[in-house]
Amino acid sequence: MASHSTASAVPAPAVSGRRKRPPSERGFLFTALAPPFFLLICFYVYPTVFNVENSLTDLSLFGLRDGGEWIGLENYVELMTSPDFRRVVWNTVVWLTVVGVSVRIVLGLALAFLLNSATLKRWRLSTISRILLIVPWATPPVVAIIVWRWLLDPRVGAVNAALISLGIIDQPIAFLATAGWVWPAVITIITWNTLPLVTLTFMASLQSLPHELIEAAEIDGASKWQVMRYVYIPHLKPAIVIMVLMSTFWTFNNFIYIWLTTGAGPGTYTNVMATEIYIKAFIEGRLGYSSAAGVVMATIMTIFGLIYLRVIAERELKEEGEA
Amino acid sequence: MNAFALGRRLGLNLLGEIVLVLVTLAVLFVLVYPTAWVIVASFKTPETMFAATQWRFTFQNYVSVMQAGFGRNILNSLVLCIGSVLIATVIAVNAAYAFSRKRFAFKRFLFGSVLFGQTFPWIILVTPIFILFARLGLLNNWLSMMFVYVSVSIPFSIYLLVGYLKAVPKSLDEAAIIDGATHFQIIWKIVFPIMLPGIVATATYAFLLCWSEYLFAVAILTQEEMKTMPLALYLYFGENVTEWGNVMAASALTTLPTLLMFLPLQTQMVSGLSAGSVKQ
Repeated sequence: MASHSTASAVPAPAVSGRRKRPPSERGFLFTALAPPFFLLICFYVYPTVFNVENSLTDLSLFGLRDGGEWIGLENYVELMTSPDFRRVVWNTVVWLTVVGVSVRIVLGLALAFLLNSATLKRWRLSTISRILLIVPWATPPVVAIIVWRWLLDPRVGAVNAALISLGIIDQPIAFLATAGWVWPAVITIITWNTLPLVTLTFMASLQSLPHELIEAAEIDGASKWQVMRYVYIPHLKPAIVIMVLMSTFWTFNNFIYIWLTTGAGPGTYTNVMATEIYIKAFIEGRLGYSSAAGVVMATIMTIFGLIYLRVIAERELKEEGEA
Repeated sequence: MNAFALGRRLGLNLLGEIVLVLVTLAVLFVLVYPTAWVIVASFKTPETMFAATQWRFTFQNYVSVMQAGFGRNILNSLVLCIGSVLIATVIAVNAAYAFSRKRFAFKRFLFGSVLFGQTFPWIILVTPIFILFARLGLLNNWLSMMFVYVSVSIPFSIYLLVGYLKAVPKSLDEAAIIDGATHFQIIWKIVFPIMLPGIVATATYAFLLCWSEYLFAVAILTQEEMKTMPLALYLYFGENVTEWGNVMAASALTTLPTLLMFLPLQTQMVSGLSAGSVKQ
């Protein structure tokens, strides 16, 4: 490979092979790839290693300059034996991620079918729906959280006012401060804010499905259910897989929705891994313990990350094969 | 099909269609209402803000939020986000071109590490980066904040741009190579204009990410005059007393730019973000 780039300023004759490289090849690759990888190492790799190191100490926010004492695996032992931390992992994995992502995918699929239906086209609602669908996506999460905190407020909120005037409830419900309501309420907020991207992706996939396929299936006498099962679902599968994976990263790693909506409360009822790391580091000042929790979280995420890479890599391989 | 059956079929379909349309309208209402309400409420006096029927129009909320120093926060956010996005885009375009057009050692591994960056939880990075910045005296510093925003934007920017580059015919840059153009000339003079829509969509997405970023900003920017819009906005939404007029005006000011950027770009952004997931 290198032998091509050693011949310096000699202009390549027109008849030479297409694989012949101009002399500037290596220089270009270096200039193009060094800046991003320098940043990635400084921003992702080094802090991660530093985090592992801190997790083995009792470093405190209030004694940053002095550094921490080496305490071995004590932080990890405390994490693993703490019932609080088990609750945090349960909240993160089950409520936030499994429930949150499933709701988003199911609603996203339903909405994509609805907005893609022939009925809406006949009623000239397709374009306007598509434009309005963007609105929640374009609303920054901080604003989404503020407006939903108002909507769900027991004193001035519109949701309680509407439910009372419809006679569904007598007393206002403090959705974000009641144990039974807080998770559904938080998931509603996250879903509202993130549903458009999922829906639009599924819509794009639906539109790439050749119409003849459905017609052919119908002519062959397939029932609606069979068309769904054997035509739509297999076609949508790649989009569903990618959206499940991406939603999982976004949700699992997200800090702001829980922190600004409930502050991990009531009490620590909605505490998740991201808020636990933040609370331990910046409120209780236990940087060492917080780092250990971070290492556990990174490990769980790495597993998802490897699955994601596999899926993407397979797709890229396929495309290169086609080209 | 006789006339009776046809009529029956149409009647049933009509009923079904009306139900579908009503469901659609209800869904659209839920999707739009919260944001629309913020914008409407920002023009209402705080006394009439929560009243469904009363309505008194005012600009006072905007005047008072500006007097509270929100102008400074807008400026901070604009400078920080535009600066970071420009740097990130230049870096990402060059790298994406290398990944898309060149063969080199460890390419698969390197591209994989870029993708991996997308999946990495920021919360884990906040603590070590805070410690490092605190020790090096880099807290409350624009450059350190830009370093963070450029770094978080780069992984998905490269990923999206590699996707857009697939649509640019390779014959164009091959012709330019024969004409003796350097790689950077090819990228910025030939490829850049062709894939500009994709670059704009990627840059918009990066901009929105910085525009609404809260976590790193709250850890690194502790001085009042350094705070970005999301931080200031959340401060108005205080622990005990909420200044609703300020909250709504600040929320509207934070949302309007993103809304205006999203609408024309939606098709581009969706096709980029879901690139690959649509193909079989």
